[in-house]
Amino acid sequence: MHEIGVRETVQFAGLTFNWETLVMTWITMAIVIAIGFLASRSLKLVPTGAQNVVEILIVWLREQVHNNLGTRGDFLTPLIVTLFLFLVISNWLGLVPQMASPTNDLNTTLGLALLMVLIVHVLGIYMKGMHYIQHFFKPVAPFVVINAIEEVAKPITLSFRLFGNIMAGEILIIILLKLVPIWMPIPSVVWLAFSIFIGGVQAFIFTSLSLAYLANAVKESED
Amino acid sequence: MIDINATLVAQMLNFLILVVVLRLVAYKPIVKMLKEREERIAGSIEKADADMAEAEAVLKDYKAQLASARVKAQDIMDKAEKRAQDEHSAKIQETHSEIKQMKEAAQQQIQRERSQAVEQLKSQMVVLSMAAAQKIVSKNMDAAENEALIGEFIDQLDKDKIGDLPC
Repeated sequence: MHEIGVRETVQFAGLTFNWETLVMTWITMAIVIAIGFLASRSLKLVPTGAQNVVEILIVWLREQVHNNLGTRGDFLTPLIVTLFLFLVISNWLGLVPQMASPTNDLNTTLGLALLMVLIVHVLGIYMKGMHYIQHFFKPVAPFVVINAIEEVAKPITLSFRLFGNIMAGEILIIILLKLVPIWMPIPSVVWLAFSIFIGGVQAFIFTSLSLAYLANAVKESED
Repeated sequence: MIDINATLVAQMLNFLILVVVLRLVAYKPIVKMLKEREERIAGSIEKADADMAEAEAVLKDYKAQLASARVKAQDIMDKAEKRAQDEHSAKIQETHSEIKQMKEAAQQQIQRERSQAVEQLKSQMVVLSMAAAQKIVSKNMDAAENEALIGEFIDQLDKDKIGDLPC
């Protein structure tokens, strides 16, 4: 077991990469794609097995997108579905012995959060044009300062929330295993179960907040 | 623990790749299938509605046909009964009149035969009486007086006896 907080790095083209995070991300991607492949391998009108699970997920997230973004946001559903699946698998991967969550690295969470915020702003300007920029100066021009702070806070809160939850969960698993003797597995098991729950909840929170931010940019304004 | 490096950009790219791949592998086919299913269910419901309406129409038709058939049957039965009744009474009437006719004919014949018999008897009586009177009186009476006497006698006989003749 590696030491907490110390990351193995590799140098490539003069850039530093966290090797473990990258590997775990690729494993997560492989799992997500495998699930998608299994679910859609033999699609039937009357669903069974894996198709059922992924279908429920897609239908549910599609509804969320629809409620938040309206029909104009339908093209973003694949992004949201992928985000949720990726985060759930990432969060749960760290609970498997010898594995780590890609989301226990701030690089992952901040990267995703920045990507989301970037998509929000690009879509906002693309779909609403000047109107989108104007809304930062509402209700009066000086509010631009507060709005700017909010916009900066968005990716930071989004990324640190997820990172903190998953990192803390994994640290506590290691600590519990060291503190409690092996014949007394109940605390670890309880914490594992709780971590599974937290992993799902955090993935959902990240996805929902991303949706809410996207709604700001995509949904037709009512004023 | 919190060291931001090039991994951040790599993760962004990783995620974007995942979005593209998952969209191709799973999202598109599943959504297509969902749409197909929706259409199929809508079609099934529509068809079920149409079938039900048709079934109801057929049932209504059958009921109407059954009712009219029943009315027709009743009508036919009524007619048949009426005809039978009419025939029956007509026959009775006919029989009655036939009996009456036969009775009348019989009475007429009786009357005719009776008067014939009376006539016969009368003429025979005259002859017999003449013979009897000739034998008894034998003389002194002219023929005219005799005949008057005998005629009177026969007339009396007629009144008293012939009317009671059994016939």
